[in-house]
Amino acid sequence: MSTYAGQAAEHVTLPSSLDEAVEALAAMPSAVPVAGGTDLMAAVNSGLLRPAALVGLGRISEIRGWQYADGAALLGAGLTHARMGRPDFAALIPALAAAARSAGPPQIRNAGTLGGNIATAAPTGDALPVLAALEASVILAGPEGDRELPVSHLLTGMDPLRPGELLAFVRIPLLHAPQTFLKATGRTGPGRAVASVALVVDPARRQVRCSVGAVAPVPLRPLEAEQWVAGLIDWDGERSLAPEACTAFGEYVAAACIPDQPGVELPPAAVQLRRTVAALSRRALGRALA
Amino acid sequence: MSIIEGPGPVADTLAGASAHGIGASVPPADALAKTRGTYPYAADLWAEGLLWAAVLRSPHPSARIVRIDTADARAMPGVRAVITHEDVPGDAMHGRGVADRPVFAQDVVRHHGEPIAAVAADHPDTARLAAAAILVEYEVLDPVTDPEKAFAAEPLHPDGNLIRHIPLSFGDPEAVGEVVVEGLYRVGRQDPAPIGAEAGLAVPRPDGGVELYIASTDPHADRDIAAACFGLEADRVKVVVTGVPGATGDREDSGVQLPLGLLALKTGCPVKFVATREESFLGHAHRHPTLLRYRHHADAEGRLVKVEAQILLDAGAYADASSSALAAAVAFAAGPYVVPHVFVEGWAVRTNNPPSGHVRGEGAMQVCAAYEGQMDKLAAKLGLEPAEVRMRNVLATGDLLPTGQTVTCPAPVGELLKAVRDADLPPLPDGEDESQWLLPGGTSGAGEPGAVRRGVGYALGMVHVLGAEGTDEVSTATVRIHDGRATVICAAVETGQGFTTLARQVVQEVLGVEDVRVLPADTDQPPAGPAARGRHTWVSAGAVERAAKMVRTQLLQPLAAKFGMSVELLSIADGKITSYDGVLSTTVAETLDGKELWATAQCRPHPTDRLDENGQGDAFVGLAFCAIRAVVDVDIELGSVRAVELAVAQDVGRVLNPRQLAARIEAGVTQGLGMALMEDLRAPGGVVKRPNFTGYPLPTALDAPDVRIVKLVEERDVVAPFGAKAVSAVPVVTAPAAVAAAVRAATGRPVNRLPIRPQAAIVKPQV
Repeated sequence: MSTYAGQAAEHVTLPSSLDEAVEALAAMPSAVPVAGGTDLMAAVNSGLLRPAALVGLGRISEIRGWQYADGAALLGAGLTHARMGRPDFAALIPALAAAARSAGPPQIRNAGTLGGNIATAAPTGDALPVLAALEASVILAGPEGDRELPVSHLLTGMDPLRPGELLAFVRIPLLHAPQTFLKATGRTGPGRAVASVALVVDPARRQVRCSVGAVAPVPLRPLEAEQWVAGLIDWDGERSLAPEACTAFGEYVAAACIPDQPGVELPPAAVQLRRTVAALSRRALGRALA
Repeated sequence: MSIIEGPGPVADTLAGASAHGIGASVPPADALAKTRGTYPYAADLWAEGLLWAAVLRSPHPSARIVRIDTADARAMPGVRAVITHEDVPGDAMHGRGVADRPVFAQDVVRHHGEPIAAVAADHPDTARLAAAAILVEYEVLDPVTDPEKAFAAEPLHPDGNLIRHIPLSFGDPEAVGEVVVEGLYRVGRQDPAPIGAEAGLAVPRPDGGVELYIASTDPHADRDIAAACFGLEADRVKVVVTGVPGATGDREDSGVQLPLGLLALKTGCPVKFVATREESFLGHAHRHPTLLRYRHHADAEGRLVKVEAQILLDAGAYADASSSALAAAVAFAAGPYVVPHVFVEGWAVRTNNPPSGHVRGEGAMQVCAAYEGQMDKLAAKLGLEPAEVRMRNVLATGDLLPTGQTVTCPAPVGELLKAVRDADLPPLPDGEDESQWLLPGGTSGAGEPGAVRRGVGYALGMVHVLGAEGTDEVSTATVRIHDGRATVICAAVETGQGFTTLARQVVQEVLGVEDVRVLPADTDQPPAGPAARGRHTWVSAGAVERAAKMVRTQLLQPLAAKFGMSVELLSIADGKITSYDGVLSTTVAETLDGKELWATAQCRPHPTDRLDENGQGDAFVGLAFCAIRAVVDVDIELGSVRAVELAVAQDVGRVLNPRQLAARIEAGVTQGLGMALMEDLRAPGGVVKRPNFTGYPLPTALDAPDVRIVKLVEERDVVAPFGAKAVSAVPVVTAPAAVAAAVRAATGRPVNRLPIRPQAAIVKPQV
C-alpha cells in the first residue's frame, strides 16, 4: 500500500477557449491556471506549491496572438517571450520586445508568457516596468464577464484578481515614437535584473514616461522627473536634449526611486544601485531621443 | 619536442590523424546515449518495491541539540524507518583522510545543512513530510563564520579549530628588494555545481550486506567509509558506479550515501534518494573561501627577490581535503616564478561555514589570483608591461620550488607566456549598427560603447598532477582480448573527463584492435583511486597500457617463437599481425583461435614526501602549467564585464586526444570564468543564501568567452605514461587571475576580490 496520492495534480483541464477556461475555473475554485509554467512548475517541483487542480491555458489560441483595437494593441496573455522578441512585434512595441528578449535563456523565453509575467508579479519581472511606462491595462475574463483595469492596479494589489478570474489580454497604446528598455544584470548572459528602466516618449500627450523595475516590489514611476524632462523637450522641433539634461534626468530618477533616508547615510549597496539606475535612465533617455 | 600551433590545432590534428589510437580524436562511446537521453544516470535508477529517502538537515550553522523526537514521524502512514545517530551500527565518524564528521549530528550541529536524521517512506513526499515532522530542539549558538576569529574561538570540534598550519621558509628572511608591493586578496566560495541531480539507490543483499548504486568518483574510498559506518566487512558492501553526470570535485555527498545504506539495511528494502538542488548546495563540498595577504620584494629590474604571504583557508566545519588544499596553496604561493626567498604561513581553520573540500585546482587557484595580482602591482610600480615583469621571472626545468623540490618535469612557462603575449588580439566590435555590438550586458543590452573600456590581462598558473605528500597513487587495470575484441576492466570512474575514451585509445594503440570496450566500474574490481588531479590520465591509463602490453606479449610470444623472431619484430594494426619483413601475416582472431587472454597490471608513480615543519619536501610527482591572456570589455558605469576572449597556452606533455583536450581546456576556462565573474555561494552568518541556480548563476554560452588555444606545448614528461600531463585543472586555476588582471587593466581599479563584483569594476567619474 502506498501513501502516494499522485505526484501531478489530480485534475488537469485543457480548455480550448477562454470561456471554457473561465468555466473550468468556476467549477473548481481551487484550480490554478498554468500557461508557460516557468514560475509555477518550479514552485511545484521544489515542493512549495501542490495545486489541487490545474487549468492549462496552452490550447487557447485566442490569447496566443495579438490584434489591433482603436490605436492600441490587444496582446493575448499567452504570448510567449520568444514571440514578443521577434522583429514584427519589435516594430510595434520595441520596449516590450527588448524586455522579452532579455527575459531569460531561450528555453524560458519559449515557454514563459506575458500573462505569466504579470501574474507572478516578481519584482524582477522584465515586462512589468515596460507595461507601467506604457500605461497598459489588463482585461480580465471572469464569471461575471470581462473587466479592464490599469496594470499597476493589479500589480500593486489595489485591485487584485477575483476568484475565477483569468488574465486574458493586455491593452497597450501604440505610440509610434521611440521607446527603450535597459536592464543591468552584471553579466552578459541572461540573468535577473539588478535594475531595469523602461522609457517611452509619447508625442501625442507630450509626455516622457519612465518606469524602474527590480528596485522595489513593483515598478516605480518617477513622475516628477518625467514632468521635468518633458518640459525641457521641444516637442515641435528636434526633440533632442543636451547630454547634461540626460545626466540630470538620470540622477533625478535614481534619487526618486532610491530616496535618501532622513538622518541616515545610504548603505553602499543602495548607493551602487542608485548609480546603476542613474546610468540606465540616462542611457535610456539618450537612446530614445537620439 | 613538437608543438601544435596556429589558429586551429584541433582541426589540423584531426585532418591528419587516424581514427583510433593515441593522438586521434576518438569520440566518447557514450556520446550518442547521452545525446539521446538514454544514458542511465543515478537519478534514473529503479528497483521493485523501493522506498524513498529524505534527510533532515540542520537549519542552524551552530547549535546544541537538546532533544530529537522522531515519534510523530514514525507514526506517519507510509513511513518505514526513521534513523538518527543512535542507529549507526559502526563508526559514528567518517571523512576523507581524517574521520571527523559525524554521519548524523549527535550533540552539536556545526554547519547549515548538516544531516540530523533520515527517513525511508513509500513516497518521496511522505519521506519529506516525515523528515519535517521530526522534532529537534536546538539551543542555538553564535556561529564562528570569520576564519580569522577561528583561532581564538572556542573549539568547534574535539579536534580543535586549526586543521593544519604550514610555515614555509625558504631562503634568507632578511632579504629585501628595492621595490615592495603589498596586497590583500579574497576569494569567494565556488560550488562545483554538478548539473545532474545527486542521487543514489541502496539495495540490501541476502547475505546481510548492501549494494550502493551511486555516482561515486572514488568507489573504493566510498565503500570503505560506508562499510565502517555500517559496521560491516568491506567485502559485504559493494559500490556500483552509475552514470556520473559530470564531476569537477567530489560529486556525491557522503551525508547522503551513508543514510541511504543504513536505511536499506534497516528496512530490508531498496531505498532511493534524489537530492533537490538546495540539498545539493548544502551538502557537498565547496571551494575554500580564502584570505591572502602578500608582500612581494623585487629589484629595480623587476626580478623577484622575496615573497611573503599569509594564506588562510576557511575549511568549514570538517577537515575533508583541507590539508592537501593548504599544501598546494603554500607550495605554489609564489606561482611559476623563480623566487630566491619565500616565506609563507598557511592555515586551514574550522568554522561554521558551509563545508569546503576538493574542487578542481583547490589551493592553487586561490593563490594564483593573489600572486598574479601582486605581479600586476609590481609591473605598475616599476612602469613595466605586466607580461614583461612576468617574463623576467618565469620558472623553468631545473629551478627550485619554494618547497625545495627541483622541477624535473618540463616547465615551459616562458614559452607559454610568449605564445599568449604574441597572439593576435581579438578585433574590437565592428559594424555600423552599434546596437548589434556584443557589449557587456549582451547584444541590444544596456551597454553603451562610450562607457566600455577594453582591458588585457595575463596570468600564469600551475597545479600538481596526482595526489601529493606521500599519497599512494596506485591504480590497477585488467585487459582481456577475445574474438579480436578487447575489454578493459578498471575501477577508474568516467566523470566526463574522458578516461574511458582514453583507455580505449590506449588499447587500440597497443593491441591494434579497434573494438575496445570499457566495463562499468564497481568495487569488485581492484581499486583505481579517486578521479581527481589528473590521476586517471596518468596512473589508470598507465595501468591499462601495461596490462595491454602484457596481453600483447602473450598474444605474440607463441607466434614469435614459432617463426624464430623476437616479439618486437611483430606489429599489430587493424586486427592484423605482420612481421617486419612481411613474411608473416595473420589476424589477431586467427592467432587467438578462440582463446581469451587476460592480464592485470598496476601503475604506481614514484613516492613523494610530506612537507616538513618548514614546508620543505619533494611533495609532488608532476606539475602542469598554463598561461592565459584575457581580453575583457567593462562597462565602467554599470560595472558589467564581458570576457571577450581567453587565449590559452598550455603545457600538456603530449596530446592524446585533440578534440577531448580542447573540450577540457574550454570547460576549465569556463569554470574559471564563473569563479572570476559570478560564482559565490553566499552564507552570511553561516546560513546559505539562495541555494539555487537563480541565486548562484553559472556562466552560459553568452557569458563564456571565445576560448582560443594558441599553443599546446608537447614536451613529454618522461616519468608519465605517454609523457602526457593532466589538462583539466590548470585552466581553472589560471583563468580567474587572468580575467581579474584584464579588469584591472580596463578600469585601473585594484580588483583584489573574486568573484569580481560590479562595484569593483566601476570607474567613478572624476569630480
